[in-house]
Amino acid sequence: MAMRRTDGGAEEGYEHYEAIVVGCGPGGAAAASRLADHGVETLVLERGVEAGSKNVSGGLIYAEESAPYTIDDLFPGMREAVGERPITDYYIHNIAGKKVKTYDLTRLHEHDTDWCDAVLRRRMDAWLEARVHEKTSETGGGVLTGVRVNGLLRENGEIVGVTCDELDPITADLIVAADGVNSELARDAGLMDWEEPDEWFQGVKAVVEMDGERIEDRFAIGADEGVAHLFSGDLFEGVRGGGFLYTNADTLSIGTVFHLDSLVEERAEPHELLDALLTHPLLAQWLGEEYRELEYSAKLVPDSKKVAHREPYRDRLVLVGDAAGQMQAQGPIIKGMNHAVTAGALAADAFARTRRDADTESAGRAYTSMLEESGTMGKLRPRRYEYTSVVSERPLVTRVVEGVLNSPVGGVAVGNPLAKRLLGRAYNSPLLVGMLPDTETGYVTLPSVIGEKLGRTVHWENEVEPPALVDRIGELTYDTDVGNPHIRLRDESYAASGAAVTACPVSAEDFGGGCYRAETVKTNGTEETLVSLDTQPCVECGTCAIVADTEWEHPRGGKGVEFRQG
Amino acid sequence: MGLDPEEFTVDELTDELETVDDADELSAVLEAERAGQNRKTAREAIHRRLEAVDAFDDAGSDGADEASEEAETEGEYEETREEVGEAAEGEAEEAAEEDAADAEGGPREPSEAAQEEDGLSHPTADKRHVRALSGGDYRDMWVFCEVQQGELLEVSKEMLGKARELMDQYAADYEEEHVVAFLMGDDCEGLAEECIAYGADVAVYHDDDRLERFLHKPYSEIAAHMARGQGTVESTDWRAYDEPRYVLFPATNNGRDLSAQVQAELDSGLASDCSDLYIEATEISNPVKTGEPGVKKTFERVLHMKRPDFSGFEYSTILCLDNPDRDFHPQGCSVIPGSFEPMDPDPDREGLVVEHDMELEEEWFAVEVTEHDELEAGVDLTGHEVVVCLGRGIGDDPTLGVELGLELVDAFDDAALGITRGIVTSSYQFEGHVEEYTKEERQIGETGQIVAPPLYIAAGVSGAIQHKVGMDESETIVAINTDTDARIRDFSDYFIEGDLFEVLPRLTEALEAGELDVTAVADGGED
Ligand SMILES: Cc1cc2nc3c(=O)[nH]c(=O)nc-3n(C[C@H](O)[C@H](O)[C@H](O)COP(=O)(O)OP(=O)(O)OC[C@H]3O[C@@H](n4cnc5c(N)ncnc54)[C@H](O)[C@@H]3O)c2cc1C
Ligand code: SF4
Repeated sequence: MAMRRTDGGAEEGYEHYEAIVVGCGPGGAAAASRLADHGVETLVLERGVEAGSKNVSGGLIYAEESAPYTIDDLFPGMREAVGERPITDYYIHNIAGKKVKTYDLTRLHEHDTDWCDAVLRRRMDAWLEARVHEKTSETGGGVLTGVRVNGLLRENGEIVGVTCDELDPITADLIVAADGVNSELARDAGLMDWEEPDEWFQGVKAVVEMDGERIEDRFAIGADEGVAHLFSGDLFEGVRGGGFLYTNADTLSIGTVFHLDSLVEERAEPHELLDALLTHPLLAQWLGEEYRELEYSAKLVPDSKKVAHREPYRDRLVLVGDAAGQMQAQGPIIKGMNHAVTAGALAADAFARTRRDADTESAGRAYTSMLEESGTMGKLRPRRYEYTSVVSERPLVTRVVEGVLNSPVGGVAVGNPLAKRLLGRAYNSPLLVGMLPDTETGYVTLPSVIGEKLGRTVHWENEVEPPALVDRIGELTYDTDVGNPHIRLRDESYAASGAAVTACPVSAEDFGGGCYRAETVKTNGTEETLVSLDTQPCVECGTCAIVADTEWEHPRGGKGVEFRQG
Repeated sequence: MGLDPEEFTVDELTDELETVDDADELSAVLEAERAGQNRKTAREAIHRRLEAVDAFDDAGSDGADEASEEAETEGEYEETREEVGEAAEGEAEEAAEEDAADAEGGPREPSEAAQEEDGLSHPTADKRHVRALSGGDYRDMWVFCEVQQGELLEVSKEMLGKARELMDQYAADYEEEHVVAFLMGDDCEGLAEECIAYGADVAVYHDDDRLERFLHKPYSEIAAHMARGQGTVESTDWRAYDEPRYVLFPATNNGRDLSAQVQAELDSGLASDCSDLYIEATEISNPVKTGEPGVKKTFERVLHMKRPDFSGFEYSTILCLDNPDRDFHPQGCSVIPGSFEPMDPDPDREGLVVEHDMELEEEWFAVEVTEHDELEAGVDLTGHEVVVCLGRGIGDDPTLGVELGLELVDAFDDAALGITRGIVTSSYQFEGHVEEYTKEERQIGETGQIVAPPLYIAAGVSGAIQHKVGMDESETIVAINTDTDARIRDFSDYFIEGDLFEVLPRLTEALEAGELDVTAVADGGED
C-alpha cells in the first residue's frame, strides 16, 4: 500500500495498520470514524465485551455551538437512536438541612449549547461501535472487542505500536489512546501520572427504573423533554462536590461527583453520600415510594483545569478524551463526552493532514495546535482559572471568605434582596461559574448559606430505602478472571493504602464483601491494622490507583465488571 | 454562497471554516473577506483551512485505492463480526450457547485467529466453524462418567440416574433413544458394566494405562472421537448417527475442563454448572435462530438446562439451538454434583458394553505427571457428606479458627473444609500448619467450587450472594454467626446465634461423644 510506512515493525512480522484506536467510547469512535472518512485503514480495539460495557458517565452529552465537531455531525441519527431525552430544563438546588433554594440554570445550560441529551453509555457506545465498525471495515479495518491493550510497543525507544493481552503486538503509523480515565497508555508514555488525588473527581451513580410516563408526570415535562437537577450544600458531610439527577427515557440517572482529595480527607463513604442524596426530602417528590435501582456504578474523572495535557502526544501516540484529561467540570457543568468527540475528530484530521510527513510527531503537533486553535483547550484549561485559583484556593483566603459568609454580616449580604437577584444571575454566568474556586466555599459553604438564608423548607417524607452495598454488588454482572487479580497491593499497611477502604465505592469500613477491608491482625502480641484486597467486586473506577499503593491495571479483555446501563 | 465572513469575528470564522470542506467555497469566502474587512488574521485562517482541505482531498483519493486493495480482508471481517454479533445479542435464553462456549475459553479466542501462517493474517481474520454440521443426524443422551482412583464418581451415577429418567420420558413422548455412558481410564471395563447397572443402555469405554489420571489432551481427543462415532466398524456399528443429541458432563474440576474443550471440538455450545434438566419443545422468535425476522419457529426436543445465575436469586434456562445454516449439537451441559439422585443399581440390567478403538498419539502425553499428592480432604470439595465452611468471622484469631474448623471436620466420617473468598483474600497471618487450608483452591462460591452436600456448616460466614451460589443446593445448611441480621440466616435451615470460637468446639465435643446425631439433623430432625 502506497501510504504504508515501512519503518515500523512490519519487517519484523508484526501486524500493521495505518491507525490503531484504543477504546471505543465517544472519543475513540469519533477518531475512528473521521479516520475512516479520510480513507485511513483503522483498527479499533476495545476491552469490553461490547463498547459501553466498561463505561460510566453522569449522562449528559452536549453539542456546543462553538465546537468544530459534535457527535451528531459524525454519527447522524445518533440522537434519535440513543438519546434518552433532550435536556430542556436545568436547576440547581442549594441545600441547608431541610431548607432548599432553587435557581433555574437553564440560561447557563443553554449558553453555547446547540443541544444536550441525557444518554446511557452502554446503549450509546454499543450503537457507536456498530457504526464505527461499519465505517472502518470499508477502509480495511474494524472494531475488535474483548481485547485489552496493555502497553506501548517501542523500537529504539520510539513508540511504534501497542501490545495486548489477547493478540500479538500490532504496529501503526498513528496510535490514538482513547482508553479513558486511568489510561494505561498515557501512563506508559509518561504523559499522565496517577499520583495526586486533587487532580481527580470521583463520580458515583445509580440508574433507577421509572416508567416514562411517570417521569413526565413527576418532573412536569413533555414526552420529548428532559430535566437536569443539581444539588449542592450541606448534605454531603462537608465533602466538596455535588449531586445530579437527569431524566432518561424510562430511567433516572442519580449520582454524585466529589473531589477525590476531599473524599479521602473526610474519610467519607461514597455510597453513603449517594444515599444521603437519594434519601433527602427534596427527592421524595420525584422518587415516590417504590425505588428500584438497576445499576450502581462509579468512575474517576480527571479535572481538566489541572490535568488536560497541553501537548497530548508522544511519537505516534496521541491522547484523546479522558485519557488526555479532557474532562471539563467547572462548577456544576460537567462536559467530557463532547470534548472527547472533538478531540478524537481533530486528532484524525491532524493525521490526515500530516500523513505524508516523515516526522512521526507531526500528527501530534498538528493535533495540539488544532486543540488550541479550535478553542477546545481554552475551555478545558482556561488561563483565567490559572490565576484565580492561585489566590482563592489558598486556604487562608478561603477561611476569610467563609468567615464572612458565616458571620451575621455575610448572611445578611446573601440574604438581602439585591443579592438574591445577583446570585441568580451569577450562577448563570459562565465566567463566574468557571471561576468558582474548587474549595469548600464554592461547593458547601456558599450553597448552604444560600439555602439557609433564602431557602424554603421541604417537608416531604422520603421513603426511599437505597440497597445495601452488598446488594448493589450482587446485582452487578462480573466475568471474573479467576486467579488473575488486576490490582495488586504493593503496600498493605493502613498508612499507605487505608484510604481505599472508604474511598473505594464498593468497599466500606466494617464491610467484608468489598474490595478493600481493614483488618486488625495480631502478630506476636502486637496488634496491627492491615489492608486486604479482593479485586472481584471491583467496578474499575480507578480510585485506588490514586489513593492506595497498588500496581493497577484493568482486567483482561472481556473480564471484570460489565455495565448494562453505564 | 454559504458563508459570509462579514458576520463573524475571526475566532468564530475559524470555527465556521471547519465546516467547509470545499476548496471552491473557501476561495469564495477568501474573496469576500478581501472585498470586505480584509482582516489579515481572517485571511490566514482561510488559507490554513484551504491547505487542510487540500490535504484531505489527497487523502481521500488514497483512501479509495486502499479500500479496493483491502477488499478481501473486509469480506473476511464481516464474518467475524457476524459471529460476535450473535454472541452480543445477549438474549441469555436463546443465544446462550455461544456465550457459554466463550466463557469456557471456547473457540473464539482472538489470539488463535491471529496466528495464521501466511504472514498476512489480520487479527480480525475470520475463524470458521469448519466442522460444524448442518442438518446432521443426532440421537441419544451421552453421559461422561468421570472416574477417579478406579471408581465412578458419585456425580457420574447421579447423571446416569437423571439421564435414565429423561430418556424414559423421551421414549414416551417421542420414540426410543438411548442413554450412552462414555468413560476412560486404566482398567474400566468393570466400571462400564457398572454404568449399565446405574441406568445406561450402552457404555463406551477406552482403556489405556496412560489414562489412569485425567489429562486434558488425550481425554478430550478420545471423547470427541467417541462422540463422532469414529473408529473401527465393530466398535461403532451399534449406532447410525452423526453425533449425540445431548451430552452431560460433571461440573467437577476435570469435568469442566473437559466439557469446554469437547463441546468446542464438536462445534457446539455448553451450559455450565446446571442443576436441573428437562426436555421440551420451545418457540423462538430470535431471527438468528429462525433465519427470518418476525417469524416464530418451534424447536422440538430441546434440552432445557437450568442453572443458578450470577445473582443466585434466579435461574437461567439455557437452550442450545441450531441456526438455519449451522447446527449446535450436541446440546450439552455440565451438572453440579449433588443435583440429582442416582437410581438404585440393578446388576441384572441389560446393556451393551463397547470397547472404543483409537490410536492415541504419543504427543498427547507430552504432559507428564511426575509427582502427585492426594490431599487427604481432597481439594475437590464435592462429593462429601459434610462441608464445614469458615468465613471472616474467624478474624479475631484466624489460626485458632481454622484449627477449630479442622477439628469439627475430623469429627465427621466424611467431611471437608471450605472457606469463603473473604478468607482467601484476607491479610490474616495464618500459622504454617493451617496456612494450606486458606488458599483459593478451597474457596466455595461463584468463583470457587460449587458444592451440594447433605450437610453444610457455615461458621462466621455472612452469606454474600456470590458465596450463596456455591452452596445453596446443600440439603441442610447450618449457620453459626454472632449477627442475627447476617444474610445467611435467610437461607439456613438452622441458625445458631453465637461466637464460633465457642460453638465450634461444642459441636465437635457433642459429635465425638455421640450426642449429636448428624443424620438426624441432615434429615431435618431436631436442632
Ligand atoms: C464477582 C464476585 C465473585 C465472588 N466470588 C465469591 C466466591 O466464589 N466465594 C465467596 O465466598 N465469596 C465470593 N465473593 C465475595 C463475597 O462477596 C464476600 O466477600 C465473601 O463471601 C464474604 O466472606 P465472609 O462471609 O467470610 O466475610 P464477611 O462478609 O465479613 O462475614 C463475616 C461474618 O462473620 C460473622 N462473625 C464475626 N465474628 C464472628 C464470631 N466470632 N462468631 C461467629 N460469627 C462471627 C459476622 O457477623 C459476619 O456475618 C465474590 C464477590 C464478587 C463480587
Ligand atoms: S478496587 Fe479500586 S478500582 Fe476497583 S472499585 Fe475499588 S477503588 Fe475502584
